[in-house]
Amino acid sequence: MMKLRHLTSKRLLIAILAIAGPGLIAANAGNDAGGIATYASAGAQFGYRTLFFMVLVTVALVVVQEMCARLGAYTGEGLGSLIREQFSIRMTTLALGLFVVANIGLVVSEFAGIAAAFQLFNVSRYISVPIAAVLVWSLVMFGSYRRAERIFLVLSLAFLTYPVAAFLSHPHVSQAASQLVWPHFILSKSFLFLGVALIGTTITPYMQFYLAAAIADKGVGPDDYNRERVGAIAGALFADIISIFIIIATAAAIRTRAPLSSATEAAQALKPVAGAFATQLFGIGLLGASALAAVIVPLSSSYAVSEAIGSERSVGKRFREAPVFLGLFTAQIIIGASVALIPGNLIHTLINAQVLNGIITPILLVYLLILANKRSLLGDAANGPVFRAVATVCIAVVSILSLTVLTQTVLGWLGVS
Amino acid sequence: MSKIIHPPALHIPRKAPSHLSQSLISAAGLAGCTVVHKDGQEVGSLVDLVFRWDTNEAYPPLSGILVKVGHRVVWIAASQVEEATRKSIRLNTAQLDLRDFKPRPAEVRVLQDILDHQLVDIDGARVVRAADLYVANNNKVLRLVAVDVSYRALLRRLGPSRWRKHSSPGAVIDWSSIKSFGRSENGQSLKLASSRNELRKLRPGELADLLEDLGRAERRELLDSLTRDQAADALEEMQAKELEVLLRESNPDEAAQYLTSMEPDEAADALRDIDEDLRRQLLELMPPTSAAQVKKVLSYDEETAGGFMNTAITTAPISETVRDLRKRLTTAKRPVAEVEAVVLVDAAGNFVHDATMAELFLAEPAKKLKDIISGPSPVTVPPGASIKDVADLLINNRRSSVLVVDDAGRPLGRILADDIIDALVPEGNRFHFPRLLS
Repeated sequence: MMKLRHLTSKRLLIAILAIAGPGLIAANAGNDAGGIATYASAGAQFGYRTLFFMVLVTVALVVVQEMCARLGAYTGEGLGSLIREQFSIRMTTLALGLFVVANIGLVVSEFAGIAAAFQLFNVSRYISVPIAAVLVWSLVMFGSYRRAERIFLVLSLAFLTYPVAAFLSHPHVSQAASQLVWPHFILSKSFLFLGVALIGTTITPYMQFYLAAAIADKGVGPDDYNRERVGAIAGALFADIISIFIIIATAAAIRTRAPLSSATEAAQALKPVAGAFATQLFGIGLLGASALAAVIVPLSSSYAVSEAIGSERSVGKRFREAPVFLGLFTAQIIIGASVALIPGNLIHTLINAQVLNGIITPILLVYLLILANKRSLLGDAANGPVFRAVATVCIAVVSILSLTVLTQTVLGWLGVS
Repeated sequence: MSKIIHPPALHIPRKAPSHLSQSLISAAGLAGCTVVHKDGQEVGSLVDLVFRWDTNEAYPPLSGILVKVGHRVVWIAASQVEEATRKSIRLNTAQLDLRDFKPRPAEVRVLQDILDHQLVDIDGARVVRAADLYVANNNKVLRLVAVDVSYRALLRRLGPSRWRKHSSPGAVIDWSSIKSFGRSENGQSLKLASSRNELRKLRPGELADLLEDLGRAERRELLDSLTRDQAADALEEMQAKELEVLLRESNPDEAAQYLTSMEPDEAADALRDIDEDLRRQLLELMPPTSAAQVKKVLSYDEETAGGFMNTAITTAPISETVRDLRKRLTTAKRPVAEVEAVVLVDAAGNFVHDATMAELFLAEPAKKLKDIISGPSPVTVPPGASIKDVADLLINNRRSSVLVVDDAGRPLGRILADDIIDALVPEGNRFHFPRLLS
């Protein structure tokens, strides 16, 4: 009780966030710029027709997150370290190389998100992106990121208004409900493309690395694992419920059934909550979510690579003490910000980055599955036959979808289709 | 104490000269190489090298090799190995009895369990990952002599397999200054006796950094190989957040033991943010007197003098003689090096004076303590004082510590200048990625 006396309202908010904990953070980290753009685009383009697909993606997400959490709790190591110890050096390089590529895609999309958010306030991306890049870089270099991140997190909470917006927008309830439970697919190229983007943004590799490392680092062991598993699963479910509401709210607000082309359009979905200020509310949320992920995503790749190489795990702030960590971090920010500055439609950039993640995800999931199957690593906590079958089917389906989209894209480049 | 043999010829300097690197065989390069009979006929390909960890030698000798013959992995004892070169291993026999490998307790498969895993470089006081291991021939015995931690060794292994055969030692660490975390097949941890001695060289702060950087299993092992005092000192140097993690992952009995051996203020610091059930459990497992001291610190706000004072103080009644006090100090359980000053109290137990060790050292042994008091009485602080107030007082007072005294005049604890520094210097200069948001 003594402690409560000292809590100012700001501290109280932080305390509430801390209690709501990993689930909320995971949900918000999942709903970064790319996530919002992809879910909103799904709603705008296909209405409620992607909802059943989202249910399947949720099942896969729960299965994947549970394996990550289990690996973290039973081995006390992050995935970067586990892959280095359990796979050959070449396989390790492949995994971490792909992880870095996927994450650079995400960093691009976070800066694109920052650019889109500022455009809603009539600030050109040629001003906002360079400033944001320098700011994000210095926050990490000079160590004031903790406070900044709480601010970003609070800003991104604007997106928790989506469920309210979904209810207020008078969605077609019976249609939404039937699309949610009735198994169906649309066999079209654009649906497939968006499907892979939905997978890429929901089952993001960096969340897998984050979750395993977070659980290992908290000192959660096999004894506390059951409680942690409930948290990990609840977090995955919560994240996807918010995503589904984003799709419903956007589907109800935008009835053109064409691909989303701007953030202004996407912001219309928040009109039932914020009225005339929908654009501003959306902009604030998008800025918070993008800035938050623009810090965490490049840190997660630097962390995993440092861990695998074996250079200092906890990193000092001085450059020469951790050249690999900070060099990689800096490179990702520079590449991410530069690509986001290339003229073009920001929403398309955002979604393309998610497709890239969607194509890489299944490869990393195979590593994850091999690790979680290993009895020599996890003992009795290794995947049982049923879990193994479910996980294998999930990963196989995701792989087939990704491979199809990859083939189509490559053929498209070659001018065949 | 067991005797440790250091073959002097094998001592590898950090940058190995070229003639030495000629005799080093890369273990990673040997993986998959051909194993041939005496007559040159191929037997199979090398799967792993098995070394003995229990010989009390600085450089573990080869125990045998695992070879893939057809679809079977068989065991060949070191006595049947004639020679190892960079490209192949030659046996001294033409006849092999193909036996399955049965792991024995003190043997380690180095390619599986040491290569690519975490090791502690004791001389450099840092955690490294083995990018390559080097084996050398010493009087017909193959020994594990060094570990390579350079990026170049990693690149060599990435390239085509003929690159791997060329050992090009980059940053090489002599095996005798390595603490490894080999685990035998039955999960039992293996310690080289020699590394235990080497570990003594490390300062508590260095050990704390190592404990923070290691993975969970390795951390557990390193901690187990320290003496209890060494462990307690290292734990006190760890950051509160890291220590909290360590306590959570240890079994409660061990955690309570660590806490008991630490200073009460440091123990309280670690317990403050831990969840309530575990804190209660740990406090119950500690001996009542230690637990009471920690609880006392915990009852004050973290940001005030009471929250970071050290409650382990030495007191003496003013009627005692200097000689008696000295005798008492030398026989006390608390190491005398940890006693900053002695609190002199009256018959009712109230604070009178704070006698520094220098004062006691120079005083006449026959004198009573009340007669050695000179100068103005030192300033004390109430338990509710802020860190800033305590820091100001320390500066004005020109002492290295200040006493915390309650309203009734009873001494509660002591705050050392370094506690103030700990409290004032932000922890922001190190981070663990997953903790960014917690």
